[in-house]
Amino acid sequence: MIKFESVSFTHLGGTTVLSDVSLEIAPGELLAIVGANGAGKTTLAKHTNGLLKPTRGIVTVFDLDTRKASVAELSRHVGIVFQNADHQLFSETVEDEIVFGLRNLGFDDDVVKKRLEWALSFFELNRYRNVAPLLLSGGEKKRLCIACVLAWDPEAIILDEPTVGQDYAQKEKLEQMIRMLLTRGRSVIVVSHDIEFVWSLQPRVIVMAGGRILADGLADQIFTNTDLLEKANVRRPHLVELSELIDPKPEKPFHTVHDALHWIVHQLRR
Amino acid sequence: MSLIEFIDYSFSYIGSDKPVLDQINLKIESGEVVILAGPTGCGKSTLLRSINGLIPQMYPGKRSGSVFIDGLDVTTTPMSKIAEKVGFVFQNPENQIFMFSVERDIAFALENLAMPRKEIRERVSWAMDLLHITDLAEKAPHELSDGQKQRVAIAGVLAMKPSVLVMDEPTSLLDPKTASALVTTVKHLHDSLDITVIIVEHRLEILASLATRILIMEGGEIMLDGPPREVLSKREAQVAGIGIPVITRVYTLLKESGLTLPVVPLAPRELAELLSVRSFD
Amino acid sequence: MYWISTGLIFRRVTSPFHELDPRVKLLVSIELFSLAIMADTVVEVSLLFASILSLAVLSRILRRLGRTVAFSAVFAGIIFVLNVIASRPLIESVVLASRFIAIVAATSGFFLTTSPDELEYVMRWFRLPRDIVFAFVTAVRFVPVMMMDALQIMDAQKSRGLELEKGNIFARIRKFVPILVPLVVSAVVRSGELAEAMESRAYGVTNKPTSLFELSLRSRDIFVIALSLLLFILSVLYFSA
Repeated sequence: MIKFESVSFTHLGGTTVLSDVSLEIAPGELLAIVGANGAGKTTLAKHTNGLLKPTRGIVTVFDLDTRKASVAELSRHVGIVFQNADHQLFSETVEDEIVFGLRNLGFDDDVVKKRLEWALSFFELNRYRNVAPLLLSGGEKKRLCIACVLAWDPEAIILDEPTVGQDYAQKEKLEQMIRMLLTRGRSVIVVSHDIEFVWSLQPRVIVMAGGRILADGLADQIFTNTDLLEKANVRRPHLVELSELIDPKPEKPFHTVHDALHWIVHQLRR
Repeated sequence: MSLIEFIDYSFSYIGSDKPVLDQINLKIESGEVVILAGPTGCGKSTLLRSINGLIPQMYPGKRSGSVFIDGLDVTTTPMSKIAEKVGFVFQNPENQIFMFSVERDIAFALENLAMPRKEIRERVSWAMDLLHITDLAEKAPHELSDGQKQRVAIAGVLAMKPSVLVMDEPTSLLDPKTASALVTTVKHLHDSLDITVIIVEHRLEILASLATRILIMEGGEIMLDGPPREVLSKREAQVAGIGIPVITRVYTLLKESGLTLPVVPLAPRELAELLSVRSFD
Repeated sequence: MYWISTGLIFRRVTSPFHELDPRVKLLVSIELFSLAIMADTVVEVSLLFASILSLAVLSRILRRLGRTVAFSAVFAGIIFVLNVIASRPLIESVVLASRFIAIVAATSGFFLTTSPDELEYVMRWFRLPRDIVFAFVTAVRFVPVMMMDALQIMDAQKSRGLELEKGNIFARIRKFVPILVPLVVSAVVRSGELAEAMESRAYGVTNKPTSLFELSLRSRDIFVIALSLLLFILSVLYFSA
């Protein structure tokens, strides 16, 4: 569905931010992209909807070549929700805000109305329907930003650092929303340096460093590979660290605190 | 009298009758490292700003009760006087640096207080040395990383030689590595200057082991107050919706299953060691 | 955006000219500016350009100055055309248009060789009110930051299907609302945060803040002042003759 073939990207100023990146994302996949600051994660994300075009290589989204299609065309399929909600919201009402994307992409009035109602109810924003987006709280603004993008139902959605500045309750809500999206067959790509959050999602993980993909695999394989993590300057989730230190070691690292509890209790009962 | 004292303090912003702070009674002694945690909207940012006078002097509102910092009444003492006792570091690294070079920015507060040039020079060197940013002295803000910017902000604030360092989510916009480094720096500052530190922070795992005390707020009130290991293992803390370190949650689950470890662990290594000794009842 | 930033924003460069006291740089710019206003023959304008060019080479700002000049050439062209239409002799029109370029070059040269820091010191030296100086400093400091914000905002809105290049003139202007509103809002939020930080660092306690550094003229500054004044006076005499 989304395919990167030997993609490299160099800035006007001369710095190469992406180097020979090859990657395929299928429908309904949950993918996390991790790596230190400057590894190229956001640059990679911006290549999926044509905001950036590769200097070498090809990116195809549903058979559309991103160098030839417009950002609007590509955004229909891949919706990116950026980190800073204040850099997006501008309308007089929440309704107008959600409708903005739908109208830009040329949907008919009846479709717009249907999608608006869906978005308001799915994201529990009905009571804010006529409220100015700028008056919402931080967590609500973030929810609204995601609602605005999901309103036009792209097949894939990219969340760029969705947990920054969020408290624990908001992160839990976010996790629930991601799982709901997956059950509806959408692909969700999370770019994040919040390792604990990524670990709780148990996604496919891509590790980036210096503009390259260092590894691509399941969370269990990636986060137990200490050499890889060190090279990428990424830390291990605490539950993984615990699984490695505990004696005897469990076969698989603990995914949740309950996994840890059951293993420990089981070991101690012997 | 304690270094910082809140006595029956309540506050609501103009135009709102709901109190953001509700009958706060709090004493903080010199040398403590206090974490202030709680869900969004619990009043922690307001509490912090009540310590250095931003509330109520920059944000007027309805208030009752009093706040004292080293004997000074925060509501009536000019903010410039309080600034010499309380240094405030904000969340956004970008919006606290005013000048075009690091050393000039660190000197900002001192210039405002009309200190003699010689003293400014000494304090700026001292502050840069403390934060290990002497080599950045002539750099402009756009040449600094976010972590470096936060250090510059801390240096600028410490140059006033306050006895309290207040920080409002100083790491929330930083990546994990930079955040840890900053926290370690703050710990060193505390140890070498014996300065009192009060931090609002969501990411408790990076801070909990360095703090002496944690306050959990909700709905404008202080719900829990005590040493981190004690507070974070309580059920009420879990319910408050804050980010309890994963390892501590395992401890609490074990306790509820009837297995109580002698020490509350905050990091994986600690828990692993406790389990290897199989020491619990 | 890349080109704008290299043309207008002060970047760290070392050259003999850069190291002069900013007041001296200001003096030289004012001298060139004044001569540009007085020049009215081809010879005088050529001398002026030669001086500006050599100073630009000396201070290593030639390429960036070139960009500002190229931009102003458009207006110079308009001046030329208007003068020709007004039946001025061709030579005169060329001179008038060139004068404009020289004025722009002299002014731009000053800003390209003087850091915002130095500008602030000069303003303080002129005893401008503390608040005005601070407002200026803050503006210069945050303009590049706001430009980055604008780029981020444009990325976000483009990703929501906003197509700025399409539509008639009215539609296109309306399309800037989703860019401007967040930009203005961020600016307002930013000023609020700056205000908090300023208050917390005792801004405004006194109208006469002290300063970490002070401007002091060195021997090379005195030399340049003397030399430039001499050349200036000679040029004025020559230009007026």
